[in-house]
Order: sequence, then C-alpha cells, then structure tokens
Amino acid sequence: MRRIGIAIAVVVVIALGFAAWLVLIPGPMAFANGSTVVLSDYTGASPTGVPKELAEADPIKRGEYLAHAADCIACHTAPGVQAYAGGVAFNLPMIGTMYSTNITPDKETGIGNYTDQQFLDALHRGIRRDGALLYPAMSYSSYTYMTDADALAIKAYLFSLPAVHAPPKANKLAWPFNQRGLMAAWNLFYKANERFRPNPSQSVEWNRGAYLAEAMGHCGECHTPRNFAYALDNRLKFAGALTAGWRAYNISADKASGLGDWTDEDLAMYLSTGHADGHGGSAGPMGEATDNSLTFLTPGDIHALVVYLRSVPSRQTDLPRRVDVPAPASYREGATAALDPRGAIIFAGACASCHDWTGVSPTSKYATLTGVRAVNDPSATNVAQTVINGVIRKTAEGMIFMPAFGDGYSDADIAAVSNFVTARFGAEGGHLTEKEIVSLRKLAAQQ
Amino acid sequence: MHISVNGEDRVIGDDVDPKTPLLWVLRDHLGLVGTKYGCGIAQCGACTVHVDGKPVRSCQLTVDNVGNRAVTTIEAIGNTPNGAKIQAAWIDIEVPQCGYCQAGQIMSATALLSRTPNPDDSDIDAAMAGNICRCGTYIRIRQAIKNAVKSV
Repeated sequence: MRRIGIAIAVVVVIALGFAAWLVLIPGPMAFANGSTVVLSDYTGASPTGVPKELAEADPIKRGEYLAHAADCIACHTAPGVQAYAGGVAFNLPMIGTMYSTNITPDKETGIGNYTDQQFLDALHRGIRRDGALLYPAMSYSSYTYMTDADALAIKAYLFSLPAVHAPPKANKLAWPFNQRGLMAAWNLFYKANERFRPNPSQSVEWNRGAYLAEAMGHCGECHTPRNFAYALDNRLKFAGALTAGWRAYNISADKASGLGDWTDEDLAMYLSTGHADGHGGSAGPMGEATDNSLTFLTPGDIHALVVYLRSVPSRQTDLPRRVDVPAPASYREGATAALDPRGAIIFAGACASCHDWTGVSPTSKYATLTGVRAVNDPSATNVAQTVINGVIRKTAEGMIFMPAFGDGYSDADIAAVSNFVTARFGAEGGHLTEKEIVSLRKLAAQQ
Repeated sequence: MHISVNGEDRVIGDDVDPKTPLLWVLRDHLGLVGTKYGCGIAQCGACTVHVDGKPVRSCQLTVDNVGNRAVTTIEAIGNTPNGAKIQAAWIDIEVPQCGYCQAGQIMSATALLSRTPNPDDSDIDAAMAGNICRCGTYIRIRQAIKNAVKSV
C-alpha cells in the first residue's frame, strides 16, 4: 500500500512539474548571462529614454521619438483613418476579432481623461481607466518594461496631437474569450508588471538594444511563438510565428533559418531602411514596422538593436537555407511548380516584367526576388500575402510599390503563382491551396 | 545626370527629380513620345523600352537607376536588324488596330527575337504575356513574329 502511495505521489509531482513547465515561461531577457539590477543601481550609460542626440529636445519631441520606437501607431491606426484613432482589426482563429482603440486625446472616445497613473496602469499592467482588464493584444506584457518617464513622455506626445472623435468598435469574440474578467487568471501567470532591469555583465549597447527591442519595439510579440495560453514562449524566443496571416520570421542566430548568415551591416541596413541587398525588403506588418518605427531610430539605436539581436540564442526551425543565386534567364529552364501550369502563365503576364525570369529585377533592387526570405519559405505565406496585398512603402529613397493583385486574381490563381515563385526562385516550392488563400486573406484583413 | 538614349548621351537637367520614372523623362524632357503611358504599374507593357537590350517597363524604372545602361526606344529600334525585321513584318500584315500598345509590343517582340531567334508559341507566350492589347490583335502579333523569323 505504502509503495503505491509513493508511486502516486511521484506521478503527481512529475505531472505538477510538467504543468508548471508548460505554464510558467522565462522572461524575455532571461536568456542572457549575468544577473540584472534595478535601473537606479546601473552605472553604465542609461539604456532608457531618448538617445543623446535628443537629450536637449523638448518633451514632446522626446515623446514622439519614443512613441515611434514603441510603434504605437501600427496597431492604433486603421488604414485610411486619422493617426492613433484606432479601429485596426485583429483576427484570431477560433477566438474572434478584436479592435484597437482610439488613443488620441479625445475626452469622449479617446484617452483624453486618462491621468498619468491611469496611463501607466494601462501600459504596465493592462488595466483600462474604468478598471476593466485589457486583452494582451495590447502588448502590456512588453510595455511593462518601459520606465514611467518614457511612458509619460509618450503620453505627453499623444496629448499634443489633435483629438479625433472615433468611438471604439465592439469586439466580436467567442465565449469564453469575451469575458474580460478571465484575463485576471492569465495575468496571474503572464503579467510581469516589472520595469526594465539592466544587465551589468552585458555591454551598454546590449542593454540599450534590450530596452528598445523588449520594452519599446516589442519584437517578440510577432517574432516569438506563443504557448497554449497565447503567451510568448520565450524558450523559443524569436524563432518566428504566424501573426495576422503573415509569417514573422526566425530572427534568432541560426545560420540556415535565422539571421546567422546576415552581416551586421545588412541587418542595420534592413532595420533602418526595410531593405538589404541580397535579402530583399520588408512588406506587410514588417513593412509597417519599418516605415512607422524603425526608420525613425538613430544609427546608434539601430546599432544597439543589432547587438541585442545577435545575442539571442540560435533556434533552428524548419526554414531552409536561402538560395542566393538567380534562376535561369530562360523560362524553359529551372524549377517550376509541377502542380499547376497556371502559376507560370500568371508570372509571365503579371510578374516577369518587373521581377524577370531570373528573379533579379531590371527596374528596382526592391523588386529582386533572389535571396529573399519570403521566397525561400516553403509555406509561401508571405509571397501569397504580398501578391494579395501588394507593397506600398514610403522610404527616404521614395515610394516602393507593387500592385495588389488580391482583387484581380482568384484564390486558385494566387495559390498557383505563389507556389511557382517559391519553386522557381526559392529553396523549395510551396503547396498552397485555394482554401488556404481564403484563410490568409481573412487573417490579414485589417478592417 | 546623363543617360544614354538611342546611342546618344543625353543630359538630364537638374529640374528632373532623380526618382522620376524613365518614361516621363523620355516623353516630357527628351521629346521621345513614341513610348506610351498605359497603366503606370508595369501591368500593360505599353511603356516597354530596351535597357541593355532587355525589355524593361519604363514606368517603373527611375531615371537614376538607369545608370550606365544603354536605353533604346521605339524611335530607334528600327536601326537594329531584329527591330527592322519586326517592324517590316508588322507593317506587312497590318498588326495594329488602335495602335496605342504597339510600340511596347514591338519592343518586347524584338527583344524576344534577339534572345530566341526561332521562337515557338510557348516562347512567344512567355515573352509577350505582359503586353496587353485592348483591341485584341494577339493573333496578328503572333503571326507577325513568326513572319519576321522567316524574313531575311
């Protein structure tokens, strides 16, 4: 009897341990060697606030820089609507659709009545002015690392903007996700509610990069996979995930599937301009993150981000090594999607004039397909999204533009051309189906 | 800024934004209006010119990206052997109807012959699919390309 009791106890302990392992996950910066200290005890150059170039700028300018760094505008501005007025749809499979809110200083429909403390509570703890709990689509589990001073500088900037009357759209969530109160249970496990703690055994650049990537830019919210409870699984930090119908790629140090084969210069170029020769350009949500946030960062801050990204442990995922040689000049040679000849026909008519049969564009470096990660992703997800949505990016070098083909081509056509492009120019052809295109369209819809 | 157009070195004035598409530099600044504006998004082929012998949509190529490459337009394509053959074949069977797309069609067809001297139907499809003809002269375009191959 006693032996059985011990056996049961052992099983229970193991089960509880496993459950705890599943539920409890390490913090976003826990991978780094060395112990952390509270910010006031850190003796290196301050990793928080604005860079030295802006140290003397007026508070609203500083707040603007930080609002760009935190990329508030990305989620809080629907296409074609005034900045920060909200209304962007977040489509979550099985859960439903939620909408971002108006964070202009409008007293009735925005955040005009928020006190400093209420603003901090929202950013750090996910608590709305009326006490209701926010969903973690608002990335308070990242913003919690932001200092009070930086958060309030952002508030000062937001309050300097014109108030826009834009009532929030009602979320359309399935039960039980429509019960906001249940977020209290989620918060029990996943709400950090702690400010950024520098790590003195890492460099000053690393600490600044960590603050920018975690507290401000919240890279992990798209690039880190989520666990069963929709919390970021930092055991797979930056290993890549599907977000809003686009694949946010592996940005860990792995050579084949991550950033391991990028030079520091390429990485800095990509982050600051959204393009690096040989790697292609950003589009979709990363295109927005580039144009709304990363391009505003100073070269010093971009360098800090590169240093930090480089330190994230390698996580190998299923992405193949990128093919970096052009396809043959003749359409007759080279790999083609065996499944559906429609892909090549569409490519000839709609794509070849800019992208060429080699994949090296005769018109613009931004249109070169050779070496681009999306093209070397056998899921073909981002190729399909780019075909559907096109590309419109504003850069220092002017507009980057590709037409959106989503309304002109059928789901079967888009699947066929995406499969063809990945087969001809990438490591392995995709196998997208008509049905999957339907789903990708729904997931990426912002309204 | 300088670019080479139809064998001549052309000076592009400082009043031209370097990000201006080559199409507008050709038409508005150099007076070469044979190259036509169709869709402006590289989907119709009306603006096709040759850049180092390759067909390129001039509405998408900014003038600063031309660099040292040689631009040839419809005005000078008849000076090349393949261009002359294509133009003669075009006139012979009266390919154009309204004619708006034809400069681009001729540029793409000439580039095809330079690359593939004896194209079959699928070669013609792959090379010409990006050139749209609203009048539907595709059958005559195909025939003229085949006739040009046979002409001496």
